[in-house]
Amino acid sequence: MEPLITFSRVCMHFSTRSVITNALADIDASFARGSTTAIVGANASGKSTMLRIAAGVLAPSTGRVESSAVHSALKRAFVPQRGSCAADFSVEELVSLGTSTRCAEQARVECALDAVGLASRRAVRYHSLSGGEQQRVRVARAIAQIASPNGSVLLLDEPFSSLDPAEVARLVRALRVFAQEGGSVILSLHDAGLAREVAHDAIALRMGRVIAHGRAHEVLSPAILSEVYAHEMLEASTTARWLRPTL
Amino acid sequence: MKWRFALLVALVLLLALARLSVGPHLDGAGAMHFGVAMPTAETLPFRANAVAGAAVVGLLLGLAGLALQALLRNPLASPYTLGVSSGASFGVACVLAIAATTGISTQALGGEFGGAVFGAALSLVLVWMLAKRATGRDGVALALAGIVLGGVMSSGAMLLEQIVPRGLRGDLLAWMAGRIPELPDPSALVALWILGVLALIVLWKAAHLLDLLMLDDDEAAAAGVRLASTRAGLFIIGGLLAAAAVSFAGPIGFVGLVAPHTARLFIGHRHRLLVPSTALCGVIVVLSADLLRQGLDVGTGRLPVGVITALAGGPFFLWLLSRSRRGGSEWNL
Repeated sequence: MEPLITFSRVCMHFSTRSVITNALADIDASFARGSTTAIVGANASGKSTMLRIAAGVLAPSTGRVESSAVHSALKRAFVPQRGSCAADFSVEELVSLGTSTRCAEQARVECALDAVGLASRRAVRYHSLSGGEQQRVRVARAIAQIASPNGSVLLLDEPFSSLDPAEVARLVRALRVFAQEGGSVILSLHDAGLAREVAHDAIALRMGRVIAHGRAHEVLSPAILSEVYAHEMLEASTTARWLRPTL
Repeated sequence: MKWRFALLVALVLLLALARLSVGPHLDGAGAMHFGVAMPTAETLPFRANAVAGAAVVGLLLGLAGLALQALLRNPLASPYTLGVSSGASFGVACVLAIAATTGISTQALGGEFGGAVFGAALSLVLVWMLAKRATGRDGVALALAGIVLGGVMSSGAMLLEQIVPRGLRGDLLAWMAGRIPELPDPSALVALWILGVLALIVLWKAAHLLDLLMLDDDEAAAAGVRLASTRAGLFIIGGLLAAAAVSFAGPIGFVGLVAPHTARLFIGHRHRLLVPSTALCGVIVVLSADLLRQGLDVGTGRLPVGVITALAGGPFFLWLLSRSRRGGSEWNL
């Protein structure tokens, strides 16, 4: 399948006065149209940095990122792990940020609210929502930002971290629909078992380097995960086991 | 929402009419009185100038506050709390003091407006750097840095008052208390209105960017906001508007803080309506203060308008700060 984003020998260094941190080293990866790719790895392995580069908000130190999802906000949306909103918008106002009042764009807002199960909470103020609900609002805003899933990229940094299992299942369904309509979903996850259920492809990172890249069921094997987390991994996931009947 | 906006417009018109009906007037014996009196051919131009001046100062300060709050994603930001107004005063005092001691004309030094812009920009840059060094643009750190720097700048301006000739000193003192001139330079008034209306249009056109700027930096950038250029624009607009208002009317405090928050209370947080509503609220605040001062004589004549806005705005700021410290949503008043 045609790749929407391609990383070629991408390196990322962060430097302070005395310390240089190599966040990513020689990353080669591609993300295909219609696929869902999970990036897994331990804390500080470079998952968020990779997503930020793919989102175009961070330029790599060296290497090249090619994207057929042109540099347009209508083709690419990003939800960071710890997002915030300085103003106290209502749920509907926040999801519709960046869209116009045209009917087609308002329909996108409605679809996005439905997809995350917050249509009935549209008038509630963002700051009075729970952490999980705020997370869903921000995912809905990203979905509404994209004009059409076909050829677009949705990047999510730990999107399930604050969600209960039922909401995880709902969001997974929404992401599957996005991919089925020709979009590409790239998400970072801690839960390898959930990643195996959600994603077609997976990238395993360790200390900024790709340990494995390929089909999710191959990459997310106990042997590779043990290497990724530097800890013996026997059981893939608890969340995925709970959710399997609904996923 | 639209009827609330219409209510603000109606309030502006009502206050303007009220201000035209109140002010100094002469009785049959030629004695000066203050209070309600229908305008005459002699008093109407003064009162109309006061209305036009108060309205444009409110418009400029309100929009400056909104631009600075969006720039810093901080509800405590305003030209006054960030020391911009005091910096502009210091800049003007510098120009006057240098002109008085060296004999160089004020125009050659950039005029009062040039001094105000220089002082406002200097304050804004210093506050930004101080707060960033302390805690990375944390809201309370910014406000504290602004208040401290504002105090230093005000003291600097007062020091410079001692340098200027005695005749000029009284004018400078009166100007630093904040006043709406009833006999302004017409070209200055027109220039301020042009600047205010242009800023209103620019901010209104950029309303969707200001909305997105409320998000996390990465989300905003991924949604198409060019953070560096947008923030540079807001920095220039906020500083320029505050400097223009201060150069015309002196440092009138708290309007830039009260106007955006009052507008949010009426209209909500979306900038498409918030921008014009903030402009209207700024006009309402300054016109109300100017109207109120017409009836407040403490024995030395009418109170300066800056005293009234400070008396009303100070408690408002403390209330806002206490909400912020309690961890509430300080944007949602």
